[in-house]
Amino acid sequence: MSDAGAAADPDLLGGLALAEYAPGEAAVLSDAERWPTLDPAGAARLARWRTHPDAPQWTHATGDRLTAEQAERVRHPLPLDGWIAEHLDAARRTLRYRGMRAHAVLDDFPTIARRDLVDDLAAFVPLDADLSRMLHGTSSGSTGAALLIPDDVEEVARGFHLLVALAASAGVPIVAEGERMAVANLVFQRQAFTYVSVVSSFAQRAMSRLNLHPSAWPGPDARERFLADADPQILSGHPTSLAELLDAGLDAVLHPRVVFSGAMALSGPLRARIEAAFDCPVFDVYGLHETRPIAVRVDDGPFRVLDRRVHVEVLDPHRDVAVPEGEMGEIVVTAGENPLLPLVRYRTGDHGRLVTLDDGAIGIADLEGRENTRFRAADGALVPCVELTQQLQAHGAEGWSVHQGPDGRVLAVIAGGDEAGARAALAALLGEPVELRRVARVIDLGEGKPRRYRSCVPD
Amino acid sequence: MAETEALLAAWSERSGGEAEAWARARTGPSLESVAARISRVPQEFLDERVSLRALAGDIVGGPIAAQRFDDDPRVRRGAGIALWLVASEGVIEPLEPALAHGRTALAVDALALRVAPVADPAAWTSDDERRIEAARTFLLWCGYLPAGEDAATAASLLAACDSLARDRALADAYEGHRHRAEIARKLDEARRREAAARYSSE
Repeated sequence: MSDAGAAADPDLLGGLALAEYAPGEAAVLSDAERWPTLDPAGAARLARWRTHPDAPQWTHATGDRLTAEQAERVRHPLPLDGWIAEHLDAARRTLRYRGMRAHAVLDDFPTIARRDLVDDLAAFVPLDADLSRMLHGTSSGSTGAALLIPDDVEEVARGFHLLVALAASAGVPIVAEGERMAVANLVFQRQAFTYVSVVSSFAQRAMSRLNLHPSAWPGPDARERFLADADPQILSGHPTSLAELLDAGLDAVLHPRVVFSGAMALSGPLRARIEAAFDCPVFDVYGLHETRPIAVRVDDGPFRVLDRRVHVEVLDPHRDVAVPEGEMGEIVVTAGENPLLPLVRYRTGDHGRLVTLDDGAIGIADLEGRENTRFRAADGALVPCVELTQQLQAHGAEGWSVHQGPDGRVLAVIAGGDEAGARAALAALLGEPVELRRVARVIDLGEGKPRRYRSCVPD
Repeated sequence: MAETEALLAAWSERSGGEAEAWARARTGPSLESVAARISRVPQEFLDERVSLRALAGDIVGGPIAAQRFDDDPRVRRGAGIALWLVASEGVIEPLEPALAHGRTALAVDALALRVAPVADPAAWTSDDERRIEAARTFLLWCGYLPAGEDAATAASLLAACDSLARDRALADAYEGHRHRAEIARKLDEARRREAAARYSSE
């Protein structure tokens, strides 16, 4: 763990401090446990970035936990031959599907949704799962309720090599290069987990999760100097953090070989700005924490479904029947990369059209559902919606709708949770009173996926 | 009387995990010595007028989970016999090694909440197989393997006499409770032990 002192950020006063983001709050392991194969060179990299004079106030410490055997395995994708049959077998070993007949095929399985996981997560974990591989991840989600997800140690680590493989598919080989960081995962929010790690399966090169928010850094120019020194080969983030890179002029000191945007919709204009700034491929990745990456695109066309253990259907939003090919419907995913959570026909809450690409691959066109909404605070600062999500979830809301009109007035409706606490938190975040009322249930917010955030601030 | 499934669910939350119990079990007293003492349970340990809370407080030094269900005669009798096993070391003589050095409260709850709901304690004194099932269960949760057995053998022999296995529906229900409790426990452990480094935003 970094020896950074407590982040006494005055902005966090007024009930906004989220305890889990306090520096060191969740850092309990030794370095030998975080990186079982850590060698002297890897340890030196960790020490260097932890004590770098311009390093941010690291709020967390974490590693990849890989043994030597695991580090070797995660370099390769899982085999695809017959994976769906194997996957359905695993699903039948869960409480949820225990009664399914042995030869049931995919269409026999009813769809499930996030609410099912929130209500009874354990019913979706195979009874014979190797729980010693379990890590925890939290998904803030797109329908409100936070969800604790059992991550698999190898699957998480394989995520790095997926990025490398996608870069290679665009003609960009990624190999360990001097002391450049392998990857920097960028966020831009008031409070965030940040850490430096090494990638055990990539010559123990450093990687980091960085918060570009100015409050995370020790001085006004520290962010730029640190990024220039790290110069990561891969930049990943979401549209808000990637836009901040450009808006703050940080692109001048960076030379990424590839950029990945995820979590929210990447607009065409922002993609064009990133491409122009870095002259490298920019991947827009569509995926959910619970399903893992589903599809990618490098232009404004349809998303290409990844060649991995993921199967996409587009169904009627209210019935388990496929819509005619090419018509809009709800995206339903069967996801087999995480052995601890073998999802079958999972309704994402996102919508799109299933299309066949020129080379015969499956694509998703007109994807809707990922929001990148920002609100304008009273002092003119832009506040990304993820910060509102953090506060609303911290106050127990299971769903919400927040709307800011052109006059700056904010109207919010929350489903469940602490009404007074949520109102005070949003008011503190935006620097002005918020009109907020509480309804009992998520369904009271309206039919379908709650369109949670609307704002007149442009993307 | 409590629903059998509710008792098994309470045990699932209380147990701390069967795999963990087998992992920590060390060589204990002989199975026969424990079974013999079950046969000799004094009537006062089965007396419905005795407060289970008070009896547990006196013998294991604190509350037991089973006392929440003391209106259930199966739970009362199961807990009473288990408390007798602990108390017998002061009345007769300590077993070798002594039960008192183990997890006695957990073992009492195991007999009261895991075994008694599916194998009536009235049969523990008269039916050899049920008595052996109770003795094996008590030893496991107290932290012991029967003398002369390794963990694999002991686990296999306990599974072979498990009364729950005779009721498929109840066994399935128990498996559900056990699994849910275990996932909750493992996720909580994982939460306290840090997440892993992630490389992209989802």
